[in-house]
Amino acid sequence: MIIFLFSGKLLAQTDTTQLREVKVFSTPIPKVKTLIPTQQVSASDFKRYNANSVADAIHNFSGVNIKDYGGIGGLKTVSVRSLGENHTGVLYDGVQINDAQNGQIDLGKLSLDDVQEIILYNGQPAEICQPARTYAFASVLAIKTIHPQLNSNKPYQIKATIKGGSFGLINPSLQWQQKLAESWSMVVNGNWQNATGKYKYKVDGDGSDTLTIRKNGDITSFGTDASLFWAKDDSNKLSFRINYYNSEQGLPGAIIFYSSSSNQRLWNKDVFLQTGYDKKWVNGLHLLLNTKVSQNYIRYLDPDFLNQQGELDQRYTQHEYYQSAALSYKVYPNLELSYASDISLNDLSTNQSNYAYPIRFTWLNVFAGALKLGRLNVQGNILNTRINEWVKKGKAAPSKSIYSPTFMLTIEPFTNPDFQLRAFYKDIYRIPTFNDLYYTNVGIRTLKPEFAEQYNIGFTFSKAFTQILDYATITTDIYYNNVKDKIIAIPSKDINTWSMFNLGKVDIRGLDLSLKTQTPLGENWKVILSGNYTYQEALDVTDSKSSVYLNQIPYTPKHTLAINAGINDERVSLYYNQIYCSSRYYTSQNLPEYFVPGFSISDASLTYKFSLNKFLATASAEVNNLFNKSYAIIRSFPMPGRSVRFTFQITI
Amino acid sequence: MKQFKINYLFLAFTFVTLFASCRKDKQDPISSPQLTAERKGLFVLCEGSFNGNNSSLTYYDYDSKILTQDQFAKVNNRGLGDTGNDIKVYGSKMYIIVNVSSTIEVVNAKTAASIKNIKMDDAGKDRQPRYIVFNKNKAFISSYDGTVAVMDTTSLTIEKYITVGRNPEQMAIANGKLYVANSGGLDFNNPDKTVSVIDLNTLTEIKKITVVVNPRGVAADQYGDVYVLSSGNYTDINASMAIIDSKTDLVKKQNDFDGGSMIIKDDFAYISTYDHVKVYNVKTETIEKEDFITDGTTITSPYGVAVDNLTGEVFITDAKNYISNGEVFCFDKDGHKKYSIATGINPNNVVFINK
Repeated sequence: MIIFLFSGKLLAQTDTTQLREVKVFSTPIPKVKTLIPTQQVSASDFKRYNANSVADAIHNFSGVNIKDYGGIGGLKTVSVRSLGENHTGVLYDGVQINDAQNGQIDLGKLSLDDVQEIILYNGQPAEICQPARTYAFASVLAIKTIHPQLNSNKPYQIKATIKGGSFGLINPSLQWQQKLAESWSMVVNGNWQNATGKYKYKVDGDGSDTLTIRKNGDITSFGTDASLFWAKDDSNKLSFRINYYNSEQGLPGAIIFYSSSSNQRLWNKDVFLQTGYDKKWVNGLHLLLNTKVSQNYIRYLDPDFLNQQGELDQRYTQHEYYQSAALSYKVYPNLELSYASDISLNDLSTNQSNYAYPIRFTWLNVFAGALKLGRLNVQGNILNTRINEWVKKGKAAPSKSIYSPTFMLTIEPFTNPDFQLRAFYKDIYRIPTFNDLYYTNVGIRTLKPEFAEQYNIGFTFSKAFTQILDYATITTDIYYNNVKDKIIAIPSKDINTWSMFNLGKVDIRGLDLSLKTQTPLGENWKVILSGNYTYQEALDVTDSKSSVYLNQIPYTPKHTLAINAGINDERVSLYYNQIYCSSRYYTSQNLPEYFVPGFSISDASLTYKFSLNKFLATASAEVNNLFNKSYAIIRSFPMPGRSVRFTFQITI
Repeated sequence: MKQFKINYLFLAFTFVTLFASCRKDKQDPISSPQLTAERKGLFVLCEGSFNGNNSSLTYYDYDSKILTQDQFAKVNNRGLGDTGNDIKVYGSKMYIIVNVSSTIEVVNAKTAASIKNIKMDDAGKDRQPRYIVFNKNKAFISSYDGTVAVMDTTSLTIEKYITVGRNPEQMAIANGKLYVANSGGLDFNNPDKTVSVIDLNTLTEIKKITVVVNPRGVAADQYGDVYVLSSGNYTDINASMAIIDSKTDLVKKQNDFDGGSMIIKDDFAYISTYDHVKVYNVKTETIEKEDFITDGTTITSPYGVAVDNLTGEVFITDAKNYISNGEVFCFDKDGHKKYSIATGINPNNVVFINK
């Protein structure tokens, strides 16, 4: 099974290409990366979770709380272990998707077309040679893209997909993989989506008893991505990528009693270029270089805004220039040391007058070491972050230098490596966003970073069997986190002027439990079953005199349970997914009037594979919210009732 | 949708900022004949959280000492909606102005049972009403769309919309004229700086008086003066108070002055700032007391002030941290706390109900 980071000469990474082969049958035992809590889902499993975006694909993970504003274009962000949305770094092939303006990445907008695997790490990936930014988050969501695996007999592969269904969804996409020369290959993706986004919902509390149609939820988007790969062999690889995304959508807004006017629009236009170079020498030296240049444009329009222009039209453009270099060396077969340094430059401009036009220079330096002593693995690092900012107008935030340590270990207490104990400690921060610091006229420049400290202990048990079960893996972790200097908005000079302050404190205690099994059924069928359970107590400890002291923070369920069961053979797979989320409160005050009921939602999917003119074809039908439950994750943002999606894909 | 957070903040500046309305003591036709009446209890309007649909009406019964957290929802089986901004009693009816829901809820003043839900829109576009005042069986409602609606209090129909300046807020009546503060607060970099004067006989705007930018609070005293509180532009223009002589409609004084909302009872104006309530003497036109509270009672975030004309009690609403339940403190006229009651989120106004 599993990963040993320090296993001497075994340089080659476990290759995940078998997942792309058509032999769905030889399902490997799921990898358990033991050094830190890790959860993953690969392309072949997306249908298991009715996943249409990165947000859907990870919604079964334990410790994950997805804030979903509902509907096809609705914002979906993730908070891991109650630390808040801005504490999760989203990496795309190892390089962060960064939003310096407000720090939120909409996971609902990240398509799965080009995704091979999604991995969520609490803490950080336990690799030693990686960009310094990878160390700079409380948790990391790593999206790994498809790298072509073609041979000279069939130097290409074309996948054409069309999806359609509820919300007026039409979504054709095309993927073209081509081997260009001995060491060169490319992948090009294109994805166009159009949906009216309409769905029925019930308004609770305004005295009406009819269903209303959610309007202004339409979206049109186009995304394209082209990558070029050069690989001499597995230890000498180069890649280039260009990615473009363009969308226009309505923002349905909160349901307001007695008011139906919702005409706000949002445009996004994002482009990035990314290159990576990865070279491993036989003497144990490993070099990793990454470069990224990106531009993100966002336009928000409220045509009903009652100002002089009769509309509110805000446009923001941000740039990022990023360079990372990481070098690791195996000093001894059981000791590896690394150093990584990342520099980045971010700027933000807008059509709003009186804006600061901030520029931020960030320099991250990290030293890391990994040591294996018998059945004990230890890894640690210290990260230094330096930030300097400049503004065109007003005063810039003062420079900062922060040291952040991480320490993790695993022990195999028995000679049998099936059972392992693990622990980690990490103290990390999030830098205030440009919105926190420079929001027109009211930003507080002296805002400090928000700190999140994590302590985790757990065990993993993973075993392959020959009878009854193919395998079973169980992982359990308990953790204590605390957030201090949490950035919250409160009035400053007077009640008209709200600013961000470092005032919040949160204490978090939790338990993550996960189980995965597979068992054969007769000659051809496999039955899989997995479950994740999370317990979270996330208490506001900001002010012992306040009425919200020791109350659960908003929108944080105490219990969440996700169960996934399925049966498949070579042609047919049928999956059922159930998510249960306990009740929550929408304010910091846990009073009955601020109660948001829990929900239990079921999804199901059926996939059939067949050959069509010698080509592999796949047809699937997915039903979300099978029992048509009326619920909301965020109050005033109702979720859709039952919806269906049909997919047809042909691989040439 | 990334923009949610920004816009929340953006709009928070505008909407979260609510002021206790000014009670026009002298002009309130019901106040004098009822001086001998006996109070049954009080209502507190709680605006709730922005986009939270959780405005509520706390009722406190004086005799039974029973507190009802949302009397409106209890008797009407529906919520008030989003951002209840102003409440007043006129005759036997109570009027609640709900800003973001863009409605006027007309209810029975004693029970809060709904009489009419009036939608304030212009061809489907929300007008966003803010405040209400009354004169001779007409109600005047300022709305962010730059109008003052004139509504008949018997038929409950709107007879006219008078165009004023941008984003009008509070209003006051003096000398047969209505003074409307045109804040222009939704133009963050270019607020309005005028007060519209409306002739109550002809129901037309007769003048615009220039004051310091972003005027929001308005109150009239018994000597014919109209006080206008401007918030300034939060950078280089300070908050300010203008005193307008209603005989000449000229600004006779304009001085730097911190304060959001203001109510006047006899010779004293009670003005809440973000951390305390001060008392201003309208006769001498000087600060009477920098801090109204004299017994050391701490109010975290004063949000509104109301005075019971009958008892002279002063009520200060406390919004606490603006995201959890508030509290209303009752003081005697000398600033000694008598009692306090728990309310919904962001209490901004108190009205008193007779038996």
